[in-house]
Amino acid sequence: MAEPAAPVRIVAYGCSTPLGDAAATHAALLRGDRALRPVPVLGREGGDPVPLALMPGRLLDEEDPPAWMAAVKSLCAAVPAGDWGGPRRPVFLTGSNFGVGGVYALRRFGSAAFARWGAPPACAERLGAELGWGPDVSVLSLACVSAHLGLLQASRVLQAGLADESLVVSFDFLSPFVAGGFHALKILNAEFPSPYSERPTGAIGLGDGAAFAVLSLDRGEFAIEGQSLFNEMHHFTANRQDGSGFARCLEPTARAARGRRVWFKGHGTGTLEAGRLEVASAARAFPSAPVVGWKGSLGHTLGSCGLVEMAVALESIRSGRTPGTVAGAPPSMGANVSMQGFDNRGYDAAVCASNAFGGAHGAFMIGHA
Amino acid sequence: MLELHIHSAFADDPGEEAPAATRERLKGCFPAGAARRMTTLGMLVGNAVARAQPSPGDAIVYASGYAESRALEDFIDSFPAASPTLFQTSIQPSAVQQLMIGRQTPVDELMPLSGGALLAFQALRAAALSPAQRVIVCGGEERGTWLLEHKLASERTYAFALAAAKAPGAAPLGLVRLEPRDGGGELGLSALFDALRDRRNLDCQAAAGWRLLIEWR
Repeated sequence: MAEPAAPVRIVAYGCSTPLGDAAATHAALLRGDRALRPVPVLGREGGDPVPLALMPGRLLDEEDPPAWMAAVKSLCAAVPAGDWGGPRRPVFLTGSNFGVGGVYALRRFGSAAFARWGAPPACAERLGAELGWGPDVSVLSLACVSAHLGLLQASRVLQAGLADESLVVSFDFLSPFVAGGFHALKILNAEFPSPYSERPTGAIGLGDGAAFAVLSLDRGEFAIEGQSLFNEMHHFTANRQDGSGFARCLEPTARAARGRRVWFKGHGTGTLEAGRLEVASAARAFPSAPVVGWKGSLGHTLGSCGLVEMAVALESIRSGRTPGTVAGAPPSMGANVSMQGFDNRGYDAAVCASNAFGGAHGAFMIGHA
Repeated sequence: MLELHIHSAFADDPGEEAPAATRERLKGCFPAGAARRMTTLGMLVGNAVARAQPSPGDAIVYASGYAESRALEDFIDSFPAASPTLFQTSIQPSAVQQLMIGRQTPVDELMPLSGGALLAFQALRAAALSPAQRVIVCGGEERGTWLLEHKLASERTYAFALAAAKAPGAAPLGLVRLEPRDGGGELGLSALFDALRDRRNLDCQAAAGWRLLIEWR
């Protein structure tokens, strides 16, 4: 769904990945560093080694207190001070796990302490209390496009005049719950992901990630436009084979990008069918745009990926260098795929896209305001 | 001020009905093969949404604090041989997706919200801000088992859906209005559900600075 209203500006942003903050993550991706490491899929209960990118020192198993809580608090220390969660500064908290690793630990290992943050309402309330937020914290969760929903809602309250600024926070931290789930789907396996590469079998990696963005209508170095969502409702874990879901989502963003030269930061998890459809759709919607994906290094940071990768894309625009498709290898799925990093100073903006279960898609365009 | 006209409304309050009885009651609402694969919450919410006759141009706002509690419980209990099906159906918006995938009906916008004391306000605000011509606001919870023992699931089961639009249409059932008003307050999802089920007018402070009015005709 296109947003015809005034462009929304990005006042501040940041992210935290196993490679560091936004600047450090961007620099590491430019070097081609890979954060993914083989980790037993069930943590302390063992299982197949699978590619996971965990925050330094963090275990896959939930801890009490959870290590991710400290990581989110550390990230949010960079959020500009304000009456967040108050009537004119709503918060949009997005993700797909919300402490579910604690629920898993509670059931598997029996410690009731994990129940304190183990469901979205309790998790959001506890996090809000830790961060000093007021009550207006909307919790949005649509699997791996969750961050896109938060950005859209945060934009709409501004455009409707209901807020002076809005804060989007997105986080997802791995646990045996989510690693075990993707392993059961067989797309998380012993292979490391090689996004947009033609090879016999696909594979993804998973990663910890958190990010924030402060949005405003009247100040900020960058702008976000052409926000778009689409839900195929075709299959839980597959897209329509004609690529129409990808195309529908990209249409409004392409309209917003008309007359501008853009590069394309894709979803690029490392699965084959979705990768091919995404590359082909990007080529049709943005014929001259090089396509890159970063999950070959960071892993798929799930509900947070849209905001984590937006922060890295903004660092790319700010620095003039876009990291290539880390861990991608020829032959690629299309001539538009850029395995190497490139100088982006000849481009006006970047398009960022994400996909999720149920054939959910999200896209937007960012550039200098 | 934010305003939506209610064009249809449906509420399902199973009370103490056992999940198996709920499934039996609702199985005829879905194709036979689909009903067998659906979660109980998926059947409850799916049936409510289906009555709003969703179409591709609609936006869907789905509110549920705990969502698929039973699927979550069963998925965790399936470890170490994790069930891929339960993993898929345990995700937050699965109840809506089960219906819409079954119908092969795409939508531009699906906005699943969780949360606590302000969930009803936040869902209605999201619906009123959608640019879609028609918005289906739906929601529900299911009573958990071992999650409930730890206060990580709902104590009651229910589902609802209302179709609403900025335009009144030919015969609106009622009106939802959010307007600024000083003062604190909150409105949880189950309180909104009760008002919808009873077709009861509501005039309350739904969040700090926001008055909620629901008026039925």
